[in-house]
Amino acid sequence: MSIAFDTLNICWRELKRFIRQPARVIMSVVQPIIWLSLMGNMFQMVGKLPGFPTMSYLDYMAPGIVIMTTLFGGVYGGLSVVWDRRLGFLNKMLAAPISRSSIPVGKMLASTIQSGLQASIILSVALLMGVRCTTGILGVIVIILIAMILCLTLSGISLALGAMIKTHETLMVIMNFLTMPLMFTSSALFPLEFMPSWLATIAKWNPLTYTIDPIRALMTKGWDWAIILPGMASVAIFALAVTSVATFLFKRSIA
Amino acid sequence: MPSIITTQGLTKIYPRGIKAVDNVSFEVEEGEIYGFLGPNGAGKTTTILMLITLLKPTNGKATVCGFDILKEQSKVRESIGYVSQDIAVDENLTGRENLLLQGRFYHLPKDVLEKRIEEVLQMVDLTDRADHLVATYSGGMRKRLDIAEGLIHRPKILFVDEPTLGLDIQTRHKIWEYIQRLRKEANMTIFLTTHYMDEADALCDRISIIDYGQIKVVGKPNDLKSQIGGDVITLKFTKATNILAEEAIESIRKMTFVENIISTKDSYNIIARNGETTIPKIFEAVSRVGASIESISMKRPTLDEVFLAYTGRALREEEGSREELMSERIRLRRARI
Repeated sequence: MSIAFDTLNICWRELKRFIRQPARVIMSVVQPIIWLSLMGNMFQMVGKLPGFPTMSYLDYMAPGIVIMTTLFGGVYGGLSVVWDRRLGFLNKMLAAPISRSSIPVGKMLASTIQSGLQASIILSVALLMGVRCTTGILGVIVIILIAMILCLTLSGISLALGAMIKTHETLMVIMNFLTMPLMFTSSALFPLEFMPSWLATIAKWNPLTYTIDPIRALMTKGWDWAIILPGMASVAIFALAVTSVATFLFKRSIA
Repeated sequence: MPSIITTQGLTKIYPRGIKAVDNVSFEVEEGEIYGFLGPNGAGKTTTILMLITLLKPTNGKATVCGFDILKEQSKVRESIGYVSQDIAVDENLTGRENLLLQGRFYHLPKDVLEKRIEEVLQMVDLTDRADHLVATYSGGMRKRLDIAEGLIHRPKILFVDEPTLGLDIQTRHKIWEYIQRLRKEANMTIFLTTHYMDEADALCDRISIIDYGQIKVVGKPNDLKSQIGGDVITLKFTKATNILAEEAIESIRKMTFVENIISTKDSYNIIARNGETTIPKIFEAVSRVGASIESISMKRPTLDEVFLAYTGRALREEEGSREELMSERIRLRRARI
């Protein structure tokens, strides 16, 4: 199973690099906490609106923040490919008899593990801030899993772009161009019912909404399979598709 | 000696029409240090990239360790080591971790890998610093680590692209020592590229002079130097009498010891078998036509002269600064993409 071995080896390198950059680790956790406390309090009144789905706005947005962190963390997959290419490390890996697919897959796997770690920390902080998870610890685990699958998708997109774009500045601009609108046209921060109808239509088609809805259901409603199952299925299918496309594009870019 | 690398008509044309390697054929024998000598952009790196299977040739064939570079890529990759000019070591890992990563790329079993890591660390004198982050290493240490990584799986052939690019003189001599020791102790075949004459002269058993993607000549450095056939007298006329230069050169050309005259931008290189006795005659010839000499010098032939003789230009002028070199590399890399 050389492909599995190679993938784990590349993933090992990425994780080592991640923990060697403490500022990156700390900031990736501090930032969402600031969002949580700042926006959670700023929009406190929103939660009092008649018909708002949850008791407090903080309960509503906590799942959104988990997703947002995953969203922004997902870009690193592609960035690391661009850097490796520039520093000559990519050629070094390619000169070795390793499976070509193991490079993108290993990098995506590493981002996914990182996002799982971040999601756990953010959820712990949210719980400390008084957010309740109705499905308990099992629910929290499922939420982390969903976040990880989403991260796989995003690092896949970023990697597919990184295979084609050779400068990290361009890649960052494009990823920001994608992530910010994705974030604000989803149900992450605001329920669909409160949006103008055109925005609600966009939000309904936004893949992010499919990820947030099951997470929110797990936190505020309970094991509502009618929301959780289709949500998880679509996220998983999307992730699989993006992973294959990213791997294909990566292999094409080095051929 | 059997050939361990063979190429036939190897050619690479990049998408934008840049002909980087043009119909190159050569053979490298087992156990030798073979050098590609040429200026930046001559096609040295492109040739290496094709031989190590990272770049598909536009035309031509090549085998490495008996394996076809197009049809048996993974076999080629298993039998070679590659040290690029980029010093591609991961700064956020320690030296040992870099070696561990590299050894796993070559699927070495755990116990073998542990032994090898100690072995190569010792070879490049990095044992004491092995557990420090590479970010704290000097340029020379990084290069040594990079070379150690290329050796971890004991390849049959080591490809080294510009082994001492951008390193200080002391470090360069150290690296040369390591490369020579490798060949002696491990009987490894080494294929290297360089644009430093002294490096090619000091290290290589045989060299190819490559310019504009074509091999101009192949041979042992000493043979090439003696083929030039004599001393090189560099003659520069004063600006005012430059118009009379042609006339003087014509009469110098007729002298018995003079073998060849190559004109460069602002001077003439006179190749003569008996330099010491030719110089006074040159003075006579020059004053006869009424021209005057600004400077004259004589040198025993070095590879510089060999390069000049086969390409018609001096390699020194092409060297340039590190910045120029970087931009040249970026230009080529863009072309490669």
